[in-house]
Amino acid sequence: MTALLARPAAAVPRLRRDRRRWAWGLAALAAVCWSATGALDGVNPAGAAQFGAFAAAALSPALDGAFLGVLATAALVTVAYAVLGTALAVLLGALGAVAAARSTWGRRRLGRLATRGVLAVPRGLHEAVWGLLLVNVLGLDPWVGVLAIGLPYGAVTATVFGALLDEVPRGPYEALRAAGAGRLAAALYGLLPRAAGGLLSYACYRLECAVRSAVVLGLVGAGGLGYQLSLSFGSLRWPQVWSAVYALALLCLAADVAGRAVRRRLAAPRRRAGVLSRDRVLTAAVLGTLVAGAWSWWFLALSPASLVSARAREQAGFVLRAAWPPSADGDLLRSVAAAAVVTVQTSVLAVVLAAVGAVLVAGVAARPAGRCSPLRRLAGVLVRLGLLLLRAVPAPVWALVLLFVLLPGVLPGAVALGVYTLGVLGRLAAEAVEEADAGPRAALTALGAHPAGGWLYGVAPLVAGPVLAYALYRWEVTVRDTLLVGLLGAGGLGALLASELAAFDWPAVATVLTATVVLTLAVDLVGDRARRALR
Amino acid sequence: MTVRLGAATVLDDVDLTVGAGERVALAGASGAGKSTLLGVVNGTVPPSGGSVRVLGADPAALRGAALRRLRARVGTVHQHLELAGALRVVHEVNAGRLGSWPALRAAWSLVRPQGVADVVAALEQVGLADRVFDRTDALSGGQRQRVAVARVLVQRPDLVLADEPASALDPVLTERVLGLLAGPADRGGALLAALHDPALALRHCDRVVGLAAGRVVLDAPAAALTVADLAALYGTAA
Repeated sequence: MTALLARPAAAVPRLRRDRRRWAWGLAALAAVCWSATGALDGVNPAGAAQFGAFAAAALSPALDGAFLGVLATAALVTVAYAVLGTALAVLLGALGAVAAARSTWGRRRLGRLATRGVLAVPRGLHEAVWGLLLVNVLGLDPWVGVLAIGLPYGAVTATVFGALLDEVPRGPYEALRAAGAGRLAAALYGLLPRAAGGLLSYACYRLECAVRSAVVLGLVGAGGLGYQLSLSFGSLRWPQVWSAVYALALLCLAADVAGRAVRRRLAAPRRRAGVLSRDRVLTAAVLGTLVAGAWSWWFLALSPASLVSARAREQAGFVLRAAWPPSADGDLLRSVAAAAVVTVQTSVLAVVLAAVGAVLVAGVAARPAGRCSPLRRLAGVLVRLGLLLLRAVPAPVWALVLLFVLLPGVLPGAVALGVYTLGVLGRLAAEAVEEADAGPRAALTALGAHPAGGWLYGVAPLVAGPVLAYALYRWEVTVRDTLLVGLLGAGGLGALLASELAAFDWPAVATVLTATVVLTLAVDLVGDRARRALR
Repeated sequence: MTVRLGAATVLDDVDLTVGAGERVALAGASGAGKSTLLGVVNGTVPPSGGSVRVLGADPAALRGAALRRLRARVGTVHQHLELAGALRVVHEVNAGRLGSWPALRAAWSLVRPQGVADVVAALEQVGLADRVFDRTDALSGGQRQRVAVARVLVQRPDLVLADEPASALDPVLTERVLGLLAGPADRGGALLAALHDPALALRHCDRVVGLAAGRVVLDAPAAALTVADLAALYGTAA
């Protein structure tokens, strides 16, 4: 026998806690407590009656023919914006992913940091802000809607595509490189096949988000379902509001189902042995997307000429000249700092609310892999529908509704964004559960583990990392969304921006926008560091 | 223990009984149905026909806690190990005791590891005691395989199922691990192990069952067999 097996009984090694993770955990806890102190605003009982009327109308949406016709046309406009915006975003994202991936830069961290900084500018500004700014340059042109979605989405898509490429195991790529393949060829054969499912799944998810963003653009005046929603909301016609919400939920459901079908086919392609055949569903999806893109182009009557027209150039020049240099007034800077604090507190509370909720519902929301009881199936369908409804209603609408019963401040924004983010995060967590390897849990069931024990030891370790990473991503998104909720009445940088925009105080607008971008960049960096500590 | 199956493709009308104290090797080419047979016994693969009796009980007739109690007496080293990976070794090994631990204790153990001395003792037997608090996904393939074996050791099952439990181990550790897995059989339990290496099967088991295309084509005491007999199962001359 070897010395290895013959040596005396070892002393139990000491359990070393991972200090970095503990530090992150404690810091997160402190941030949550600090944010909670900002949310100690009161409740406004007087608004309860209006809230009740709004809630009651959920069961009696407006269904008269004329209004439904208006909604249908509005929905087409929204879809056209969403499709073209996503197309632009995926195009930009695919180009930017290479620049954003950690693997591209290797040890040259400066290059990667610079890319992230460049990407943080477009994604640091909300679609609605892009919309408001672009309207000042392009006027009421349909390009406003497309660019307002495509530019920030393109930056986010580039970051996520880059991260997805980074997360693919490097072994096959390195092996091909070692065998003499060029970087591009090695990436095509060694990285892309493993990442393709994730990339396509994310593109589908972006299309779904784009539908909601198109609605939000409508809320600030760009037309479509959101415009109808805001008209009905402004005139307190709750049944019409609910019709618009249901129409939006239907749109999201369609995008969800279509995206899922495509993704499932990608994960398990149906191939006949020995024949190179194309999958009908995937072919239809690709052709359908191309047709939808062409139709949207025609329906919105986009003209590339208007992008480079003399008027557009002149307006862009005027706004840029007026906004430079940004204002450095002391009072303004103080209110920017105070608003930034409110924004951070709101976003932290929202994400914590959403993450806790997502963890609680993920198990039920995930489609079980094997056979299961009809009751379990029904619960799953109900929870998924609930989550769909939560994310179908844009956060600003939730905020407007909550402002009936809560005083303006951190709390209504946090709850509105939290409820909406729960819809998104709950779905992502459920998908992480579905995509996790079923083997470890099955092995634990086979050795007699309690279902909860099987979950804790067989599923949770596999999904905790991805779900926390998603939550951190959503925190970055939520900081941006806080701005939008602020534009429509809750506090923070958005409210400040709204008042400066209304006064056409361009230098002050530039200061607030800069502060927003810097804040987003900071949050992005903190999120990235925290994610790395999680690995 | 009787296993009767009618699964058309993978296992075809297999009738096999393993008695107390027996150490049975499953031999056969890849795709012969060895892993499926083990999966049917531990309940991860539902049989499409026939009946299965494990340790004197019918798993199909049991539900809830009774089924879990039966399953806690069956330990498996899976071919693909089925470790979560993102946990420390101590938790992966402790997972072997989930059949007897209530859910709350299982949850608390993730915060403050329970029964560390037993875990270290089990890891000591497979030569991994110094890695008890490392992350499992930081270990090599062979080390992970030994973690899976240590999990079965702390589980203390009566029936051990092992699917190529030493495929990633050196000869010394292979002997060691197979000896450890045969422990329950020596105490009146049983071992059913899928083994590709004929010499290993003959040395550690007292009976060899050969499978080919889902059927039992050989069932004989190890003492009556030679390495060449087993090599024939794989279609090669020894």
